[in-house]
Amino acid sequence: MGRRRQRVDPAAGARAGALPEAIAALSRSLPSGPSPEIFRRAKFDRPEATSALWQLLFRVLSPLPAGNALASLALEVQARLVKSALCSQGYPRLALAQLPEDGSQGSRELLLALSWLLARGPVPEQMLAQARVPLGDEMTVCQCEALASPGPPAPHMEAEGPVDVRHVQWLMGKLRFRWRQLVSSQQEQCALLSKIHLYTRGCHSDQSLSHLSVTEAEMLRDPEGGQQLLRTLERENQRLEAVLAWRRSELVFWRWMDTVLGTCAPEVPAAASQPTFLPWVPEHGGGELDLVVRELQALEEELRAAAERRRAAWEAKAGGCGRGPEWSAARRASREAVEKELGALQQCWEQDGGPAQPHGPHRLVRREDGAAGDRDLRAAVVIRTLRSQEACLEAVLRRLQGQCRQELARLVGALPGLIWIPPPGR
Amino acid sequence: MLPADCSRRLVTELQGALDACAQRQLQLEQSLRVCRRLLHLPRALRVPPRAPRAGRPACTPSPQDLKELEFLTQALEKAVRVRRGITKAGERDKAPSLKSRSIVTSSGTTASAPPQSPGQAGGHASDTRPTKGLRQTTVPAKGHPERRLLSVGDRTRVGMGARAPRPGAGLRDQQMAPSAAPQAPEAFTLKEKGHLLRLPAAFRKAASQNSSLWAQLSSTQTSDSMDAAAAKTQFLQNMQRASGGPQPRLSAVEVEAEAGRLRKACSLLRLRMREELSAAPMDWMQEYRCLLTLEGLQAMVGQCLHRLQELRAAVAEQPPRPCPVGRPPGASPFCGGRAEPAWSPQLLVYSSTQELQTLAALKLRVAVLDQQIHLEKVLLEEEVGVQQRSAALRTRG
Repeated sequence: MGRRRQRVDPAAGARAGALPEAIAALSRSLPSGPSPEIFRRAKFDRPEATSALWQLLFRVLSPLPAGNALASLALEVQARLVKSALCSQGYPRLALAQLPEDGSQGSRELLLALSWLLARGPVPEQMLAQARVPLGDEMTVCQCEALASPGPPAPHMEAEGPVDVRHVQWLMGKLRFRWRQLVSSQQEQCALLSKIHLYTRGCHSDQSLSHLSVTEAEMLRDPEGGQQLLRTLERENQRLEAVLAWRRSELVFWRWMDTVLGTCAPEVPAAASQPTFLPWVPEHGGGELDLVVRELQALEEELRAAAERRRAAWEAKAGGCGRGPEWSAARRASREAVEKELGALQQCWEQDGGPAQPHGPHRLVRREDGAAGDRDLRAAVVIRTLRSQEACLEAVLRRLQGQCRQELARLVGALPGLIWIPPPGR
Repeated sequence: MLPADCSRRLVTELQGALDACAQRQLQLEQSLRVCRRLLHLPRALRVPPRAPRAGRPACTPSPQDLKELEFLTQALEKAVRVRRGITKAGERDKAPSLKSRSIVTSSGTTASAPPQSPGQAGGHASDTRPTKGLRQTTVPAKGHPERRLLSVGDRTRVGMGARAPRPGAGLRDQQMAPSAAPQAPEAFTLKEKGHLLRLPAAFRKAASQNSSLWAQLSSTQTSDSMDAAAAKTQFLQNMQRASGGPQPRLSAVEVEAEAGRLRKACSLLRLRMREELSAAPMDWMQEYRCLLTLEGLQAMVGQCLHRLQELRAAVAEQPPRPCPVGRPPGASPFCGGRAEPAWSPQLLVYSSTQELQTLAALKLRVAVLDQQIHLEKVLLEEEVGVQQRSAALRTRG
């Protein structure tokens, strides 16, 4: 289908139609992307292109999928958040932080910022994946958004005087109740989902799926909703085609952006200038690192104790047997095997690859035999992984609870006049 | 238990956890409503997690079931009206529609009209008759459930013309009896006819186009044009050179990512340690390997700690960048930017209700444990903070 120009000759960049095509594809591939005209104006730093670019940057950088709440934020607020986000990602140009937030100037800087983001990651694809129409019943396998707290904690618990410990305990009880509710609701949902899959087996045109999902069955039940779904799907297809076109033609865009950069005067490293003060204060900048350090130190202690014990036991035993050549060969083989294993383990967190869990949502498919292709997950495997995760987390929790109790005991000793109400047994 | 100022943070965290649970509960209930509606389950009845195989005794439909039937009738009529309007545009292949229609009529049920693909019912006038038949008989027959069912079956057969003389009503009674647990009589609609549903052609076309486009996207991702990649790198270098900002060795996002990786490392190492400690070595070779593994793990932990110290030093020495952000937005849209994410969803195959339920329950359990651990950490931090403050007070005083 798509023509693929792997090697674009330099002359192609000079072709008249290539650049507008690329920019048009880019603007079609971004959600509510600005018209190609805006890009052109931004090159010449025209003020009228500024607010559209602020808004686009905001859409790209905001972590939540576009909702009406976000879109209705004032331009100043959006601009401030954009600056903050770019700064935390390490955006190098100072000029951006100094731009006025009313959208009166700076479109060229904003264009540079947008290109910086586009160069660093597959932005149009990511945004498309975020806004994707889920056609199947999906379940995420990773834990990244399972019970994520919704955004920064709302500052409604401001200074209200001393907090009663009973209030804390009541909240904990409420939380436990909500967990139980979640469990039972989810069990019911799984049962119903499984039924629907079972009853609609054999319906789907796609053989590998074989049954309908709830979304698809809903579409049959409610044709108006189905039409809407169809329209959304078609729009997504259009954007997909735009992204593919962008990827084919983006080389000429980068050549162009180099020229745009060239028109800006190079910046002077200015140590003195302090950009605008931003609203909220970092919560615990180094706190995160401290926690990890503490955990690792505790682990190191445990490992050291265990290893020393085993080493002592081994020396006692092995001292007795001979040290022939086959002995040392066997030992070398063991060493190499262990090194390889541990190396593979290290890859798990270094590269986020290897036997790590695949991320992102997966489409649930019911098959009597449970057969799965190469790239598909099998529920039994995931269950095993989750069980081991559960065991690990339970151990961590128990250890933390023990630590808390220890600290509390120390507190009781240190602070006079403190009444200690032990937490309810778990 | 704790002085006021530190328990405030705990309360805030608890509130956050409660909100997250409430949000998740709302999502679940929304999707439960949708599922129940599809299966025609009345809201009061809940399907037990293990639907018992034992059939329930044949019983007469309750008044509640009659009401459900009435709602269903109205929904059917509406669906027929709507579908008539869509029919003009729809293209249909005749074979499956004829087949399903004949099966539909032969078993004497009329409630199958809605699940059939739109564009089909409207064109066939006979579909309206069974609906009307249903309606006419429901109204007067409140007190005679048995008779009502019979008359519905009769009407259907009459309406559709002579078909295989399956005793519609009798069959229905029999079907009701062994049906799994508490389902209203029309619940077997999806159960019986579910496998005959067909998605509309326009949708099928769009969906297959959609999946092929996503597949193309994944493949272009992996074989990115080298020229474009080089051009991008060049552009980024030019940007860096032309900019006045400090050359940050590590942005806040990267620090957070690294900290996350090391946290993950800690839990993986701990897991491995537990595995080794709990394994019972059979012979000396195994013992030796176990020993080597433990010592190797210890060395790795040491490396991680070293890396953490480096990170802390780097964070401390960097000039405070004037962008205080509690949580950098856009840091990890989905689990951190991977090298090759699969853009379109892959499959997760399960084989039974039980398996699905176990999977979901475990997922939730792990999430809850995560939350609990987070709260315990907050508590611990606050306790340690109190200790430090009181120690400072004492030394000062």
